[in-house]
Amino acid sequence: MPPLMAIEFLCRVADVLSDYLGGLNEDVIKDNFIIVYELLDEMIDNGFPLTTEPNILREMIAQPNIVSKVLSVVTGNSSNVSETRPGATASCVPWRTTDPKYANNEVYVDLVEEMDATINRDGVLVKCEIYGEVQVNSHLSGLPDLTLSFANTSILDDVRFHPCVRFRPWESNQILSFVPPDGQFKLMSYRVKKLKSTPIYVKPQLTSGGGTCRVDVLVGIRNDPGKTIDSITVQFQLPHCILSADMTSNHGTVNILANKTCLWSIGRIPKDKAPSMSGTLVLETGLERLHVFPTFQVAFRVMGVALSGLQIDKLDLKNLPNRPYKGFRALTRAGEFEVRS
Amino acid sequence: MAPPAQSQRSPSPSQPSGKGEVSDLKSQLRQLAGSRAPGIDDSKRELFKKVISYMTVGIDVSSLFGEMVMCSATSDIVLKKMCYLYVGNYAKVNPDLALLTINFLQRDCKDEDPMIRGLALRSLCSLRVANLVEYLVGPLGSGLKDNNNYVRTVAVMGVLKLYHISASTCVDADFPAMLKHSMLNDSDAQVVANCLSALQEIWSSEASSSEEASREREALLSKPVVYYFLNRIKEFSEWAQCLVLELVGKYVPSETSEIFDIMNLLEDRLQHANGAVVLATIKVFLQLTLSMTDVHQQVYERIKAPLLTLVSSGSPEQSYAVLSHLHLLVMRAPFIFSSDYKHFYCQYNEPSYVKKLKLEMLTAVANESNTYEIVTELCEYAANVDIPIARESIRAVGKIALQQYDVNAIVDRLLQFLEMEKDYVTAEALVLVKDLLRKYPQWSQDCIAVVGNISSKNIQEPKAKAALIWMLGEYSQDMHDAPYILESLIENWEDEHSAEVRLHLLTAVMKCFFKRPPETQKALGAALAAGLADFHQDVHDRALFYYRLLQYNVSVAQRVVDPPKQAVSVFADTQSSEIKDRIFDEFNSLSVVYQKPSYMFTDKEHRGPFEFSDELGHLSIGAESTGTVVPAQRVEANDKDLLLSVSEKEESGGPSNNASAYSAPSYDGSSVSAAASSQMLSELAISSVTGHASQSSLAIDDLLGLGLPVAPAPAPSPPLLKLNSKAVLDPGTFQQKWRQLPISLSQVYFSTMT
Repeated sequence: MPPLMAIEFLCRVADVLSDYLGGLNEDVIKDNFIIVYELLDEMIDNGFPLTTEPNILREMIAQPNIVSKVLSVVTGNSSNVSETRPGATASCVPWRTTDPKYANNEVYVDLVEEMDATINRDGVLVKCEIYGEVQVNSHLSGLPDLTLSFANTSILDDVRFHPCVRFRPWESNQILSFVPPDGQFKLMSYRVKKLKSTPIYVKPQLTSGGGTCRVDVLVGIRNDPGKTIDSITVQFQLPHCILSADMTSNHGTVNILANKTCLWSIGRIPKDKAPSMSGTLVLETGLERLHVFPTFQVAFRVMGVALSGLQIDKLDLKNLPNRPYKGFRALTRAGEFEVRS
Repeated sequence: MAPPAQSQRSPSPSQPSGKGEVSDLKSQLRQLAGSRAPGIDDSKRELFKKVISYMTVGIDVSSLFGEMVMCSATSDIVLKKMCYLYVGNYAKVNPDLALLTINFLQRDCKDEDPMIRGLALRSLCSLRVANLVEYLVGPLGSGLKDNNNYVRTVAVMGVLKLYHISASTCVDADFPAMLKHSMLNDSDAQVVANCLSALQEIWSSEASSSEEASREREALLSKPVVYYFLNRIKEFSEWAQCLVLELVGKYVPSETSEIFDIMNLLEDRLQHANGAVVLATIKVFLQLTLSMTDVHQQVYERIKAPLLTLVSSGSPEQSYAVLSHLHLLVMRAPFIFSSDYKHFYCQYNEPSYVKKLKLEMLTAVANESNTYEIVTELCEYAANVDIPIARESIRAVGKIALQQYDVNAIVDRLLQFLEMEKDYVTAEALVLVKDLLRKYPQWSQDCIAVVGNISSKNIQEPKAKAALIWMLGEYSQDMHDAPYILESLIENWEDEHSAEVRLHLLTAVMKCFFKRPPETQKALGAALAAGLADFHQDVHDRALFYYRLLQYNVSVAQRVVDPPKQAVSVFADTQSSEIKDRIFDEFNSLSVVYQKPSYMFTDKEHRGPFEFSDELGHLSIGAESTGTVVPAQRVEANDKDLLLSVSEKEESGGPSNNASAYSAPSYDGSSVSAAASSQMLSELAISSVTGHASQSSLAIDDLLGLGLPVAPAPAPSPPLLKLNSKAVLDPGTFQQKWRQLPISLSQVYFSTMT
């Protein structure tokens, strides 16, 4: 069996289980032996993966939620499984539940991006890339047909699609045409490479000598994305050869965590001053200078903007009885954003 | 699925309540068994849950078998499922009791609800009791013809299970033929996929004994069947698609246009969300185009982006599996990936197994245009907190230096490493400088100046110390105090624990003696005396050898120990190209992740002794000190992981290979070793398939990694055989598109590759 098939399948099992049980750990599994057995029974047979689509599984095996418990008490009907076996697997849209019905038809499209960047010792942006996902949460009745188009697909470097996406319209016009699964799913993932700039800068400076090391870190906005950048943190691992560290900042809080990590939580960058953190590290006796240079890991979040510049043009819905509500959001956060010193 | 049957195990002391509770349950179940009161299912369910959870934690509840079966008369599907689970778990160890269940399972197989029919059939087949197989045939037969797809999917798998319990029953009931019929005719894709998977398994294991089965197995790879699957591929679930793609990968098209048609049809699979599908598709593309060098290269260009995306999404385990495949491709065609070198930069948080692969790829893709940036990046890792990675990256810099023409800047960097005052950095750098000097003796002046400043007292690691001593011996002419350093090292002979270092010391002092006799004479005498008294056999022998050589004739001794050397042009590769090709043929399997062909971890004889690698280490030291050039990896042999030492062992199996490494310094041994080991492999193949005459030719083809047609297909000639036109582009446009992809390599590479 191909290794990736096994790993992908295990990941899928984990996803389905945590979806069903609202978490995944030893205790949860112990409490829900039966559901786990039932699920595994349908997901794999004789070592070969069968049904892993959450929508179909949900039709075969009821979720152990409060509603169904209450329902069974009230009605006295103890079976928590629908009586008939769904015909959906035979339908042309295997990922979709047969004919769901909603009073409010809604669909939400989220652009979620992660920025990976590496800045080297000289402050040069070595690598900057965005990995993004188009996440859709659909609560639509019947068998709707959706088309999603972007304003600027040329920036995308590589794309991967949920099986529901039709390939031909994408190949010819860069339009996503699909019949969505029910509920939350990942419609598309993409990569944008060779970005030129990051929204914030982090400038660490280490000078060591005489058994101590002076650390100064400056943070500020480099390229204003137009929306607030929040949840900014900077952290770095203190080298082993350090006896003690004394760090302070002019904004936010600095904590030295138990695993010798120094975490500086900044939050938002204030208008009037540039946040900075400084302090002294005391080296082990006998060590003159610091030879190991820590890497600073930066986290931030920008709501309302996809930093790659990808923009949704429009979303058309067909095959729907009444006008649905359409919602769009965008979010960028730092992925592996690291600054070397 | 079923938890491990632990019924044999006596309840451990930590579960003292087990026995009492089980008998409690027993009586409770008894009470419920006959009752038909409303709400009885709820109380049954609670009890069943208890039973199952005991079973799962390993308490033996097999004594409840009778009661459980009695309670199984219910319409509640969850109860039934629990009951099936229980029965499936204990039937094997209680074959007599299992007979009790046959009745109710058979009845459930005729239930109105297809779900229950399917579940019952599955449990029936999972009993795994050999003397009950006769009861399986009937339900399976009707299951295969059931009008519900769920039941049919289960039945197909049931046939496979039956085959594993009793192959003869399965074949006698003519199930394979029925499966074949459903495979080609069923409307449900999952049924078809299960048929394919079951038939592949059945016919492969039957093939050795029955000619018909082996014919059938080959027929699976015939054009009609492969086209049939390809045309339906989009109906299949992602897992079944992997299965189909694997089948297509083995298919050998007869014409070029077919290849393009298949690739055209499958191209969108490269954008599938499931990484397994993407990799399986890549394998098909690579296999199909093996004989078309230019298109094969375009395949590399095309699959680059999907692979790189796969690496950056998903869990570390997923990205490692993808990275291993990427690694394989990068090693085969580094120039195609040379512009993407930034993707192989290491991230601080990555696990070190990922970093290690990335470092190797960075080394491979370095060329004239990107070397500067790559080396700069690597140098940053040298100050990394993670010491093994820091070491790896220094080695990587060295390797790049060895494969480049313009090494100016790199030499400077290496020398900077020597001045970094970190012992492991210095140690690694010393080893590298030594290798560098063997390839580029012209740099000796610059290097010696720096190396001369390093005090041998600060070097602890044997390999680094040996490297330093080698340089002292080799360049004693230019290093002013070389004899005196050697002398002080010899004075501490007793404290030197590594035999490798002592061997090098002997050789170095000899070389030094030939160049500066008066200064070294005393040290040489001391060294020979210490060597003769050494408890280590190799050291002792070498000292004795040198002593007698000097006694016989000093100039002869000089010719033996310190002959004029040619610079090494190519350091031998660790893995033979034969082995690499084998791994490539096994693309999308564990072989790629382990970096060795499957026979090495599946055949018993190959898994065995690892002691051999140790011996090899000693051998290599001996070889080096004779002054001839030894492949770099020999020196490193000790710290290569076990995987590599196995592959080395494999290589050295061909005696001709070893001999050539000794005699010719700049000899590129790969071709000989490839020939030698391929011969060995074919012998191995023949010996392993004796008795399976019908299979032997296949097996050899397979082992030699030739993409030859498996056998002439049984020539069915349906004229209507065509791939459907659902593909994205029309064939003409597609071929056009593929021919236009940028070409960025010399043909030399591909001629070696095919």
